[in-house]
Amino acid sequence: MERHENAIELNQVSYSYPNSVEPSLKNVTLVVEKGKFVVLMGSSGAGKTTLSLCLNGLIPQLLEGKLTGQVSVAGKDVGKTSVQSMSKVLGLVLQDPETQIIGRIVEEDTAFGPRNVLIPLNKIKQRVNLALEKVRLKGYQQRLTEALSGGEKQRLAIAGVLVMEPDILVLDEPTSELDPLGRLEIYETLDDLRREKDLTILLVDHSSEEVIKKADEVVVLNEGEVVWKGVPSDLFRNILLLRKFGIKPIPVSLIGWHFFEKGWISFAEIPLDTSSAEDLIRRLLPEFGRWHEQPHGQIKNRLQQQRSKKSVAVQVSHLIYEYNPGEPALRGMNMTIEEGQFVALIGQNGAGKTTLAKHFNGLLKPTCGEVIVEGMNTLHYDTSDLSKTIGYVFQNPDHQIFSATVEKELEFGLKNANYKGKDIKDRVDEVLQYTGLEKFRSVHPFSLGKGERQMIAVASILVLKPKLLIIDEPTTGSDWAGVQTMMALIKKLHAAGTTIIMITHDMDLVAQYAQRVIVLKDGDILLDGTPQEVFSHDQMLLDSAIIPPQLCRLSVHLSDILAHETFIEASEFTAMFERGEKQECL
Amino acid sequence: MSIEYLPGDTMLHRLDVRAKMFGFLVLLILSFIFQAPIYQLLIVTFTGILACWTKISLRKIRKMLAPLLPIIIMITLITGFTMTPDRFDQATSQAILFYILPGDRLGATVGGLLMGATFTLRLFSMMIASSVLTSTTSMDDFTQFFQIMKVPVEMTMMLTTAIRFIPTLDKKRRLIVEAQRARGVKFNEKGMIGALQSHLPLMIPMFINSILMANSLSMAMLNRGYGLTRTSTSMRDIRFSLKDYYALSFSILLLTSALFVRFRLHIGLL
Repeated sequence: MERHENAIELNQVSYSYPNSVEPSLKNVTLVVEKGKFVVLMGSSGAGKTTLSLCLNGLIPQLLEGKLTGQVSVAGKDVGKTSVQSMSKVLGLVLQDPETQIIGRIVEEDTAFGPRNVLIPLNKIKQRVNLALEKVRLKGYQQRLTEALSGGEKQRLAIAGVLVMEPDILVLDEPTSELDPLGRLEIYETLDDLRREKDLTILLVDHSSEEVIKKADEVVVLNEGEVVWKGVPSDLFRNILLLRKFGIKPIPVSLIGWHFFEKGWISFAEIPLDTSSAEDLIRRLLPEFGRWHEQPHGQIKNRLQQQRSKKSVAVQVSHLIYEYNPGEPALRGMNMTIEEGQFVALIGQNGAGKTTLAKHFNGLLKPTCGEVIVEGMNTLHYDTSDLSKTIGYVFQNPDHQIFSATVEKELEFGLKNANYKGKDIKDRVDEVLQYTGLEKFRSVHPFSLGKGERQMIAVASILVLKPKLLIIDEPTTGSDWAGVQTMMALIKKLHAAGTTIIMITHDMDLVAQYAQRVIVLKDGDILLDGTPQEVFSHDQMLLDSAIIPPQLCRLSVHLSDILAHETFIEASEFTAMFERGEKQECL
Repeated sequence: MSIEYLPGDTMLHRLDVRAKMFGFLVLLILSFIFQAPIYQLLIVTFTGILACWTKISLRKIRKMLAPLLPIIIMITLITGFTMTPDRFDQATSQAILFYILPGDRLGATVGGLLMGATFTLRLFSMMIASSVLTSTTSMDDFTQFFQIMKVPVEMTMMLTTAIRFIPTLDKKRRLIVEAQRARGVKFNEKGMIGALQSHLPLMIPMFINSILMANSLSMAMLNRGYGLTRTSTSMRDIRFSLKDYYALSFSILLLTSALFVRFRLHIGLL
């Protein structure tokens, strides 16, 4: 067989989706060498998915539109090869694990691909077992696919394309729908695959600490163009570039960037992980540090003040809930949430976060005990009544959007609550302004991006002016810019007095925005306190599969200097070098 | 069928799908040629034994039957009162028990009530037999059966994927219902229009989500080589073994003797 040095070659590729004016890819020229691990990054709508779909011919064979330029994969001209034949060369894994599983049991699903290309039965068995072993699903052969966890499902999806024995594996945001544990599973699987030298991997992903260490190369797409290509550390040390491309920087690098701007360190010294950041701070502190007092006391006091004077928004007493008799999902929980608090509910999947939150608007009624929200006992009120004071935004906006325009979507909740004519119009106008959706007023919601649809889902709840807002994973699948817009809105609502309860897996958001963090484990409260307090219990959190944010971990490493104080923002670290106090000796 | 495949290792599980389907067909014919409930009872007992043998829980079957109870009673009554004596051959069946309306109108015939019992028992045996069939036959076996019967590949694929996605769609439905209830939708609105209106917020996202899912499913299928050839490798070599021949000959014997009894001896009519 002929040897190809380049796994993927794109030459001047441009593509526009049918009926769209702007091309999604513009003159993309890209070469991926054989055996490399390349990460493709960029904000939403940058063309990452479009690019991956071009690689195995789904564009233009399934999705029509205008494609120009040359795509060749492993020496094959993709334009002249059918998608099905490409599957033997290039495996493509998509975002949603749910829709990539075809079989009812694991073995049957994995065998789907080889069966289609008529591989004999005895070989299929071998291949299936090998592929399942590669994704660490050995022994799962007879399991029902329906009963797998998200991470397992996505690994099965990877096995489903690996079983075709491709030379190249392309994964389009394989972790975006998963919880941290599932994400970790995928990264571990990728690590395993990486060790096999033959496989070329192209991973589309948002930035994360895990990925950067592994990648040989990063390619950044922005508005359909390749704008940057090189070694990951060069990109992630350059905060200015990251901001420009809308990629989330690594928290510790922000500290380093500050030092770099001051001229204290060279570009190459900007840290990308906690241990190098620790070394750096220890080295620089004697020389430049001006830190003395604990700048932190104020934040804690702020919360305590609030606790004392505000009235109660949610009162949970002895709450027990059982989905099936004898298997409590919540085991006698007690908690009080004061009006105006910003609470983050965290914990592993299955810890009871959503089960608890659904009690707040009466979607679930206590098996035992009671829940009183805004003075109403949920046992005596229907969800439709509670919805007027308690807003609940679910994770997937597509589960609730059903109107033909954004405006109508917003009106819906108000009509349910029996508002009339002018009231409706006024409130809709106000919320459209508030959320920045004004320009999409008469646009069909499904013609907008995921980030905007998420915003519509929030807006459709905000029209009811809830006093308590519950948000379940408001940022899943959003890019950095989307996360920031959403969080800015939530922060604004909180400042205006709304009580916020946020369920999330994103610990950076928790550290940055929440006043109070409640960690759930096995249907009970494990920890409850300020982010600083909670994140300093790193051992307890580890049992719950929660990894504290990077900066909190750094604080723990530096606890001798910080006097066991936990910092959650880069500015707090840099402040150690700016305070006008006397220099502390080490 | 609400009973899904239960993996197991009974004789019925290991039986070739073709033999099983033939057996099922024989039971079907049997239950339709006999009118007398006593023969139906025999068939129900036979299927009941099969059900016990495969260890499918009878409680599940009972649960399936429970909601049908009103319909069953209705069927018995309606046939009892509407079947006129001239519909029956035997004198005992033609006898009229009592009249419900004055002036000897709308009489309950013995034959009619017996016929009602037959309908009921027929329903039972069909439900049990099909439950036994679905619980002992994997989807893969069915697919293969369709292939042998020369059903187009697309059709079988459609059917199997549809079945595979029922739980997924049901999960979606629950999520949508919750999301809309949180916006104040009441799903128990009264009246035709009310009910219809309250279901729009459920149906539209359901359609949209299904279409989106179907779209990415089609991508995933192409990614895995679906449609490269018009067939696919069978996961199991299906071959008739001795037990299949036994089952087959038993079924044929049963069928011929039943046909003999019914059409030669004219037994089993009402």
